[in-house]
Order: sequence, then C-alpha cells, then structure tokens
Amino acid sequence: MTIFKFALKRSFSNTTNIIFLTLFPIACIFLPNGEEWPFLPYGYQYFGLLILFVGIRLATIILEDREKGVVKRLAVAPISHFQYLSQNLLAYSIILILQCIIVVYGGVLLGKELYQPGWLFILYGSFSFASLAIALAWISIYRNKDASFLVYMSLIFIIVVLGGLLIPIEIFPDLLKRVAVIFPTYWLAEGLKWIVFSEEILDFLLINGVLWLYTIVFVIVGSIRKIN
Amino acid sequence: MRVLSTVKFTALRMLRSYIVLLLLLVVPIILLTVFSFILSGAVPESGVPYINETSMTQVLVFQLFGGSIVMSLIYNDLFTENKIRMYALPFNQTMYAFSIMMCGALFSTLLGALLMVYSQFVLGVMWQNWLWMIYIISLMAVLSIIVCLIFTFSVKNFKIAERLSEVYGIGFVVLAGLFFPMPENGFFDFLGSYGNPLTLSMGAIRDMGESNIGDAWFQANILLGAIIILFVVMLILGRRKIG
Repeated sequence: MTIFKFALKRSFSNTTNIIFLTLFPIACIFLPNGEEWPFLPYGYQYFGLLILFVGIRLATIILEDREKGVVKRLAVAPISHFQYLSQNLLAYSIILILQCIIVVYGGVLLGKELYQPGWLFILYGSFSFASLAIALAWISIYRNKDASFLVYMSLIFIIVVLGGLLIPIEIFPDLLKRVAVIFPTYWLAEGLKWIVFSEEILDFLLINGVLWLYTIVFVIVGSIRKIN
Repeated sequence: MRVLSTVKFTALRMLRSYIVLLLLLVVPIILLTVFSFILSGAVPESGVPYINETSMTQVLVFQLFGGSIVMSLIYNDLFTENKIRMYALPFNQTMYAFSIMMCGALFSTLLGALLMVYSQFVLGVMWQNWLWMIYIISLMAVLSIIVCLIFTFSVKNFKIAERLSEVYGIGFVVLAGLFFPMPENGFFDFLGSYGNPLTLSMGAIRDMGESNIGDAWFQANILLGAIIILFVVMLILGRRKIG
C-alpha cells in the first residue's frame, strides 16, 4: 500500500488542494437557507459543484504522473498498472468520502434541517464516485494538466446549469428538461429532491444506480494505461 | 516607440490563446443561449424581460476574469521564459508591459462587445446604451487587469497569484449575491453595493437605462477612482519587482 500512502500525502501537499479539501466543505455547511428553492440549504445544493472540482483536482495528480514520466518508470517497476490505479483511486475516494462525512454530519451537529442525513450521505458518496470517474476519463484524453483543468472547469459550469443544480429544473423548457437526464448533475439534483420529499425508496435506488452506472462506464474508459 | 512594432504580435498571441477564448467567449455564449431558452418569454411587471438583466450580468461577470491572459503574458515575457530576450531588446520594458496591458484591455473589451452583439442579434436582447455599456465593460477589464498584475507582482509563487485572480473573480460574484443571498450586516452590505466592482457596474448600467444619469456617472466614477488608486499601487509594486 505504498502508493496509497503517497497518494494521500500528495493530495494534501499543495496549498490549493488543502483549501479545496478542508476549507470549502466547511464553508458549505455555513451557507444560508434558501427561501423557496433550493429545498436544502444552499451549501448542500452547491456541494455537488465542489465535488466535481475536487474530483478533477485529485485526478490531475495522475495526469501529473503521466506528464513527468512517472507512469513510464512504473511500467518497468514490479508493480501492475491495476495496483497503481486502484490504490490511487482508493486514496481519492477516501478523501472524498471524508469530505462528505464532514459536510453532512457537521451540518447535523450544527442543527441544519437535512431531513435524512444518512441517505444524503449515501447520495453524496455515489456522486463523488461518479465525479471521480468522470474526471479520470477526462484526463485520459489530455497531456497538459492546465489545459485539462480549465476546459473541464468550463464544462462543469455548463453541466451544472443544464443539470438543474444551479437553477430549478421545473422552469426549463421541455426539450432542455429531457436533455438534462444525460447529465450526472441532474441525478444529484433529483436525489436532493428525494431527500426532502422522500417518496419511494425505489426512486432513490434508481438515482444511485444511474450514478454508479456513470462511475463504472467512466472508470473503464479512464483506466486504460497511456504511456507517452 | 519601437514597442509599437510588438503590438501586432501581442494581439496575435492573445487571439490564438484558445483556452482564454473558450473560457471567456464560448462558455458565456453557451450559458447565455441556455439562459435565454430557460427564461424565454418571462417578463416581470417592470416590462423588461429577465434575459436582459441576466445577459448584462453575464457579460460583466466574465470581465472579472479578463486579466488572466495579461498576467500570464507578462509573467512569461518579463519574469521567466523570455526574460533575458526581452531585456536584450532595444526597447523600454515598462512601455512593453504597458502595451501588453492595453492590448489585454482591448481584447477583453472586444470579447465583451462580441457577447453583446451575439445576445442582441441572436437572442434578441435589447441593449439600451451601447456606448455606456462598452465604457463600463472597458473599465471592468482594466480593473481586472490591474488587480491581476498586483497579484503577480506581490506574490512570489505565480501559481498562487493565478489562484488569487480566480478568487478575485469568483469572490466578487459571490459577494454580489448572485449565487446565494449574503448575510445582512454593514460589512456585507458594503461589499454587495459600493465595495464591489460587479454591483457598481451593474448599477451604473441599470441607472443609465432608467436615465438616472447622475447616479450612473457616480458609480462609474467610483470604478474609475479605484482603477487610478490601484494603478499607482501596481506601479510601485511593479517597480520593486522589475527594477
């Protein structure tokens, strides 16, 4: 588990990452409640946006490895690509899960109205994995980490708007409402709605299932070894 | 005046930086289009469609990030990669830095104007006063460039300066209350009104639209004042760093 240990260390080694990983989630807890929309406090609505950013920041570490030729050295070392990738991903998912715990249970401690914190935590967990997987697939088509980050950032803004995380999806015109289904953020927004109005457990399972489907597909796309 | 011969190349470098074009032109165009779909036909009681306000906000918000290209060009040319080459050239380096700034301001204003043209002719947004709008946009562009350069000159690590410039942009969007309502107390009220370039410029344009010419000029002049003060700060910091 050496790689795992160092992946954890590296994730926290840079100042921007520390701010992203600790300060921002805590700030999320303290954001105010919305009036009519969103149903959960603003911080919990926007936490999805933060998860997407953290996902790409963490996945960029793998891209950095490729840029610096570490992957090439690993290829001749007695370690398989599977070990390298799985230990890295394990470290990142632990960080993301910790973040979700901080946000959800910190909110509970502060007495925020979260309806069903347990389910909320599971929803954020599924979305974190989806975000990490998408980021992993994204970096596999890039060679330059700055370019990949900036283009992904612009993509995030569009996805977040189109998925109904920033604006309630009810006011969208029909066409956009139907298109929104393909974005993972749509499913997060649906999940958040479910948390508040909880109807059937099956709906919640479907939402998580879709997020897991994204995770599986994008991990497969992103896990191909690229040596350049 | 030998610097003038470099202007052409600075302009070319800016026009070819595809990431900046993507972030400051393509993304806002997509967002504006999406918003115009969502808000199509929504007209509040005042009679001005929501999309007008939204597109004005968007055009101004993206001006907050206009300084990033100038920052990276100056950093590359005068501090790192091309430093020695630039100092070997027979021209005044300060004037060169200044010419990059002017080019950046023009470039950023041009992008803003393109967004306005797009939203007028494709999305049917009516801009009341083009000249005033462009004046405010250029003020925002210059302010953003100066702030970014202050970060470049005052922070040792350029990565941190870049992050700070993003904090400047996103921070003022958040403080303007566009994402969520800010708490109501004196400090946040100030930063959500007269202490915030974004709300100042939005207010200036809104007042001009309602022909409150006095108020509009007042808010624009606060921006201009901030630019002058920060320009002096930038000069002092820049002299220490370059000289």
